[in-house]
Amino acid sequence: MRQRAAVLLALVAVALVGCAQSVTLDVSYPEAAVNRAMLAAARPRRVEIRPVADRRNDIARIGVEPAAAKPIVTSRPVVDIVRDALVSEVQRNGHAVTPNGADLVLTADVDEFWLDVVTGHSTAQYVGKVALAVAVIDVRTGETLATRRYVGIKRQQAKGDAKQASLEVMDVALSRAMHDLATDTELAEAFGRRVPGVRKI
Amino acid sequence: MKHAVALLVVLVVVATSGCASSPPVRSTARPFDDVRQLTIVVSGDSEFSVLENSAEPGRTFDQILPWTGYAGLLKPIADLVHQVINWFVESDRKADATADLRDVSPAWLVAQAFEETLRASGRFDDVRTLRREPVGDDRARSEILVRLTVPTWGLVRVREGDPDLLSAFADVRAEMVARQTGVALWKDNQDVTGPERLPLKAFTGDRAFARQQLFDVLDRAGQRLANELLYAQGAGR
Repeated sequence: MRQRAAVLLALVAVALVGCAQSVTLDVSYPEAAVNRAMLAAARPRRVEIRPVADRRNDIARIGVEPAAAKPIVTSRPVVDIVRDALVSEVQRNGHAVTPNGADLVLTADVDEFWLDVVTGHSTAQYVGKVALAVAVIDVRTGETLATRRYVGIKRQQAKGDAKQASLEVMDVALSRAMHDLATDTELAEAFGRRVPGVRKI
Repeated sequence: MKHAVALLVVLVVVATSGCASSPPVRSTARPFDDVRQLTIVVSGDSEFSVLENSAEPGRTFDQILPWTGYAGLLKPIADLVHQVINWFVESDRKADATADLRDVSPAWLVAQAFEETLRASGRFDDVRTLRREPVGDDRARSEILVRLTVPTWGLVRVREGDPDLLSAFADVRAEMVARQTGVALWKDNQDVTGPERLPLKAFTGDRAFARQQLFDVLDRAGQRLANELLYAQGAGR
């Protein structure tokens, strides 16, 4: 019994030390900051947003903290962060996000979600990058109406160990990618497009 | 004692109702929401920089060149800058033979992409770019101005490694002003970075490629600024 307790204690200790050996960032796309943009110009559609595919080279982390070589990770899975951001944009622009009976399917791949820290003499440069590939598919015909890529990048100078700067550049990189998506006239056209041969009801 | 309790209750009620009466943040119409006509004015100087973010971040290329051991390596970039500027001038000469060639600048190219993106959005009836502050008839026609500057552009080290990786960058500023009142309606600063990350040799070894990278980042900067303006316009809707 005592041995089991000791093993358990050792496992907990290892787990706690493991947690302390990474830097966790709560990257998010706040719903309160989402605006109506070009996507709102399309007629209201029912949209199924599929689970986001993770195409990153390194899915275990989003960067490496240079001082102690600790991995930088997000508090929630990257694919969930991106999907939530897509849901917020689509809904705020007047479209219904639904798992059933959708007019359109929106698929998204995360190609990159990475933070680089370039250390300098007294400060460091933080560079956050988010790269997404998005496709819009007409449910009735199966036709891909649009395939688009969005890259959000943010650079910022800050102190070498600034966790806040790391979070800010990733938040802004994600928001820039989302703003490019929401103001993309070609994506808006794909949302509003009537497929030939499909009868209007 | 009863008076004190009553006073306390009144104070609590007043404080609570004060909190409850805070207006909602969303649905406030912005002064530029209904702007349909814009005049973009290219202004300010642009400095080409190689931002190393090493011992002395922010040094300009001219500052680096005389005393580093990399002068030979960086010299082609100096030539490249002149080539880029010449190329701008040449492009402009083809487009408008009467233009004042001294006014051709990175900011002009950013302005072109900014204008094109706003036009494509369909939210503006009339968008045009001027090389200087409007005068005469131009001034009468320009109720809303967007002053656009590119303080710095060039190459920036974005990843440490062997070799380090660099990207083209442009730091841009825009301010929308109502001409008659001078009131600033919208402001934005964008640090725009090219998505491609390459060793310095990729830029110094292939000038045509480097020129394309620099051109692309200016184009991207204009699009980014326009997208942020379009996005901000939706805040009040």
